[in-house]
Amino acid sequence: MVNVHKGVLVECDPAMKQFLLYLDEKMALGKKFILKDLDDTHVFILAEVVQTLQERVGELMDQNSFTFTQK
Amino acid sequence: MKLRVQLQCKNLHEYLRELSPEILDRLYNHPATCLAVYRELPSLAKNYVMRMLFLDQPLPQAALALWVKIESQKDHDECVLVLAGLRLWHSQQLQGGLQGYILNPVFKDNLRIALLGGGKAWADEGSTLGPDRHARDIDSLDRYAIERWEVILHFMVGSPCAAVSQDLAQLLVQAGLMKSEAGEAPYITSAGFQFLLLDTASQLWYFTLQYLNTAQSRGMDLVEILSFLFQLSFSTLGRDYSVEGMSESLLTFLQHLREFGLVFQRKRKSRRYYPTRLAITLAAGVTTTSSSPSSSTSIPGTGDAGFIVVETNYRIYAYTDSELQIALVALFSEMLYRFPNVVVAQVTRESVQQAIANGITAQQIIHFLRTRAHPVMLKQTPVLPPTITDQIRLWELERDRLQFTEGKFLLEDLCTSGLGCLVWQDVAHRVMVVSPHGHSEVKRFWKRQKSNA
Repeated sequence: MVNVHKGVLVECDPAMKQFLLYLDEKMALGKKFILKDLDDTHVFILAEVVQTLQERVGELMDQNSFTFTQK
Repeated sequence: MKLRVQLQCKNLHEYLRELSPEILDRLYNHPATCLAVYRELPSLAKNYVMRMLFLDQPLPQAALALWVKIESQKDHDECVLVLAGLRLWHSQQLQGGLQGYILNPVFKDNLRIALLGGGKAWADEGSTLGPDRHARDIDSLDRYAIERWEVILHFMVGSPCAAVSQDLAQLLVQAGLMKSEAGEAPYITSAGFQFLLLDTASQLWYFTLQYLNTAQSRGMDLVEILSFLFQLSFSTLGRDYSVEGMSESLLTFLQHLREFGLVFQRKRKSRRYYPTRLAITLAAGVTTTSSSPSSSTSIPGTGDAGFIVVETNYRIYAYTDSELQIALVALFSEMLYRFPNVVVAQVTRESVQQAIANGITAQQIIHFLRTRAHPVMLKQTPVLPPTITDQIRLWELERDRLQFTEGKFLLEDLCTSGLGCLVWQDVAHRVMVVSPHGHSEVKRFWKRQKSNA
């Protein structure tokens, strides 16, 4: 029997994938969005969370950077 | 899952290849077009055309193949494709059953006229009108051309001082460079940002192509316009030409060219016009400028060869007082100080990511900096400091850490790798992901398998 799910395949590096699993566990987006964990670099997620996910990733990158303004 | 639309700058040949055969044949009726197309051919193709120009019978393919050495067979094949794509020759059966090639007869005749002279005069020189009392010299023509072109760019950037005609605004919207909500003024799109950062020759060519594409919908004859454009590209800078014998649609086209800065006409009803440097460089080798990105071409007519100095502490010094150039630099950097002859800006993570959010790519920012690099910068290799170029690219990649592909997830392993719709599969767990349009194919395949098994 073939089970069919509609969604989005995400490809990323292993570190990013751990971050996605963390978000999923903490329900940071309000619900669990990972449908299936495929392998080290791929996960299958719900289609509608793509936008919020990008924002979350952006926030993570912002936290890890510093500004060096030299006026 | 936003797709960043890349601006495609097609060159002359690609554009011609897309035209239908009848239009191409009518186009080749004019010697100026044939000469312009011939000029853009690769040198081996030029050689072939020259050799076959005065033959009236087809030449056997075997004889053609003998012209090149064995090692250059690939170049030979490429040439054959290029010439066939432009419909410059076609194959014909010789007596005896061999396949041969013969040049397109219309093209052949008109190229002969172009090279040997004769036929109708291409453009009426203004000698019939007597000397022009308000003659313009080359410098003022250049200034006029740059001024008109910059008004268009200013309008795109949104400077309040720029005002263009309704027609031109309409054309920008149709070209996808600007978008307009109902009743409001148009605002710029991401493609428009990319357009702004190109060099002038590419901008001109892209704009002209968009114009030609919409020409049919305005009721103008594409062939007439193209022939006139090529004719312009062969005219002499500084000489005036008369508008005698030009049809209605050509006159409208001339008015549009006047607005872009490609020709100069003192008044709308003037009977003479002067082509500017922009028009002449238009058809004369956009392909050459696009194929040499590393050589810094000076911006025609602006007078300064390059004015940007980029330092390794992420500072940009732009030695210019042109509002437009300053606005372009401000697209991707933060302005720090402004002096009468120099502007100091800093490239920061926020400013670059803001530019990327607007649709500009890191490659375009780097290309912009390189083409406007100050002569002092040009003395060092590489021209731009590698730290800066690498960091701009890294800032772009930061946003691309996740790659999304739409798909459907299936829990049964089927041998569908041949169908070409597979996105990802794991053989051990018998799971796989396919693209949405492949899903229907896979369903059919699976039904067939079920009925067979």
